[in-house]
Amino acid sequence: MSETRLKIALTKGRVEQQVLPLLEQAGVDCDLIRHKERRLIFEAPTQPYEFILAKGPDVTTFLERGAADIGIVGSDILVEHRSTQYELLDLGVGKCQFILASTADFDPAAPKRKIIGTKYPLITKRYFDRLGQDVEIIKIEGSVELAPLTGLADAIVDITETGTTLRENQLQIYDYLQPVSTRLVVNRLALKQHQSAIYELVDRLAAVVQTDAEKEIMQ
Amino acid sequence: MLSNLLPLGTRDEFGRRAATKQQLISVIQAHFKQRGLAPIATPLLENQAVFTPYQMGNYQYYRLLDPEGQTLVLRPDLTLPIARFLSATKVPLPQKFGYVGDIFRVSRRLSGSYNQITQAGIELIGYASLKAELECLTIANQLSSELIDDAVEIELGDAQFAQQVVASLTPDQAQQTAIKQALFNKKVPQYDALIAAYQDEPLFDFLKNWPRLFGQPTAIFKQLAAAPLPVSVQPAIERLKAVVTWMAQTMPNQAVSIDLSSQAPQKYYTGLTFRGYSQAGAGYLFSGGRYDQLLANFQAKSEPAVGMGLDVDLLTELALTQAPATPRQLIYFEPRQWSQAEKLLAKSTQGQLSLAPDLQAARAEAAALGAQLIDLTEGDENE
Repeated sequence: MSETRLKIALTKGRVEQQVLPLLEQAGVDCDLIRHKERRLIFEAPTQPYEFILAKGPDVTTFLERGAADIGIVGSDILVEHRSTQYELLDLGVGKCQFILASTADFDPAAPKRKIIGTKYPLITKRYFDRLGQDVEIIKIEGSVELAPLTGLADAIVDITETGTTLRENQLQIYDYLQPVSTRLVVNRLALKQHQSAIYELVDRLAAVVQTDAEKEIMQ
Repeated sequence: MLSNLLPLGTRDEFGRRAATKQQLISVIQAHFKQRGLAPIATPLLENQAVFTPYQMGNYQYYRLLDPEGQTLVLRPDLTLPIARFLSATKVPLPQKFGYVGDIFRVSRRLSGSYNQITQAGIELIGYASLKAELECLTIANQLSSELIDDAVEIELGDAQFAQQVVASLTPDQAQQTAIKQALFNKKVPQYDALIAAYQDEPLFDFLKNWPRLFGQPTAIFKQLAAAPLPVSVQPAIERLKAVVTWMAQTMPNQAVSIDLSSQAPQKYYTGLTFRGYSQAGAGYLFSGGRYDQLLANFQAKSEPAVGMGLDVDLLTELALTQAPATPRQLIYFEPRQWSQAEKLLAKSTQGQLSLAPDLQAARAEAAALGAQLIDLTEGDENE
C-alpha cells in the first residue's frame, strides 16, 4: 500500500474527552474532532489518521471485522465483548473499578441462589464462577443501582469511579472485582500490515502516559 | 416467521461473486491435480469427539443429535476429519491430499461474520522431512500469484518456540500458560506485569521486546542472536534460517517475515508454521504448518504431517475488488442462426444465448441482466 492511513475507532463521550488531550500531546491533530458538530468520521488533513467515533461495543465490532485498525475503548467492554484483538497500551485514563454492591441488609453468605443485576453478564458470571456460586443474572441496560432498591435483584455488579452514585442510592460495596481503564487495541492483522506506523503512534502515546503517571506521583 | 428467511450468518452466492469463487476453486483444484495431490472429501457431519483437539476460540459448533442421541457437529475444521479418515481406514502412508470444502463455525451473533466458510487445503501425511514444509510454501507462493494481483507476504513461525522459552523461565505451568496467553494476545499491560517477576534474569531484555518479535527475518535473527535463549530453541531458529535462505533462492520475489510472538493456528501444530496475508485483505489468506501428533488423537501411532488451508471466501473478496466487472454479452438470434450463435458464444468469455422469443423481449432480458445485447438478426435479409 503506498499510503498508510490508520483507521482509529474512538469511543465517543467520556473516553473521547479523556483521550483527546493524550492524542494531542502525542502530536496527533485532533482539531476536527474537537469541532466535530454531528460528524462521526474524520480524516486528519496532514496526518495519516482517520478517526471514527463510535459507542464502545461498536468499537470492538469495527476492530473484529477489520473496519478499524486501532480501537480506543474501556477494558470493561473488551472483556465483556470477548475481544480477541491485541491490547497494546493502558492509556491510564477512565480508571474505575468493578464492584459487587447492594443494600445494607444484603448478606453475601446467605444460603440461596442470588439474583444479580448487571450490564456485564459475562464478567459477573466469571466472578461468581470463581467463587463457586451459581447465580441468576439479570441483564440491565442502564441505572443498574435500581435493581436492589426495587427488589429486582439481590445485588449488582457494576463499575464505579468514586462511589458517589452508590452512596447517594444507599448502596454499599461488598467486594471489589477487576479494575477498569481505557485501552488502545489493535486489529491483529493491521499490526502486521502497518507495523511501523502503529508502533510509532503507540510509543508516542506510551511516552505521554508515562509522563502523566510520573506527574501524578509527584503531586 | 417468513419461510424465505436465511439463518443468521449464512448467505446465498450468485452472480459475479459465485462465478469468481468457482473460477478460483477450479484454479486451485487444477493446481492440486497438477501436483499429484489425491482429492479427498469428508462428510459435513462428524461426531463431536473428532474435534476434541480443536480450539474453537470465540466460535461455537453447530450441533445436532442423530437418531440414537449421539451429538454430531457440522465440521469446523477439515484437517481433523482427514486424520480420522486415515486412522479408521489405515490407508498406506505417505499420502498427499488436496481438498475444497465448507466448514461451519458459529461466530458472535449479529457481528457481520459468516458461519459457513469455504476452505481449500492440502495435507502431506507421512512426510518427516523439511521438504514437506517446502512443498507447502511452494504451493502457497504459486497459488498466491495465480489467484490475486496483490503481493502476499508469507510469515513464518514456530509452534514450540514460546513454550520452550517460558519453560526455561519457570517450572510453574500456570505461570507459563499465563505468560504465553498474554504474549499471544498481545495484552501488553498484563504481559508486562507478568514478566516483572523476571527482571533480574538475563533473558529480561528479550522478554520485554518479545511481543514485538515479528518482522523482517534479518532483524529478527539479529535479536535472537543477541538474546541468551535456551539451547532447546536453537533447532527451531536453525530451521527458520534454512527456510528463509531456501525461499530467497527459490522464490526471490516472495516477501517473507518471521513472527515468534504469536500462537500457532491450532494447538495440534508441532513445528514450523506459516501464514500469508496481503495489504488489502482483512484476514490471513492461508495458514498451515507441521503437526506431527495429529493422528495420535485417534490411534497409538503418530505420523508426521504438514498441511495448509486457504480461505477461499477471502480470496474471492480480494479477487472481486481487484478485477473490474466485465460486462456480460447476450446473443440474440433466430433458431436458424443457432450455429452462428454457438460460434460467437465459444469465443466469448462472458456470453450467453438469449432464449427470448423476439428482439423486444431480448432487449428487456439484456436490461434485466445488465448485459450488452448482440443482435445477430440485425441486417439479416431474411428478417
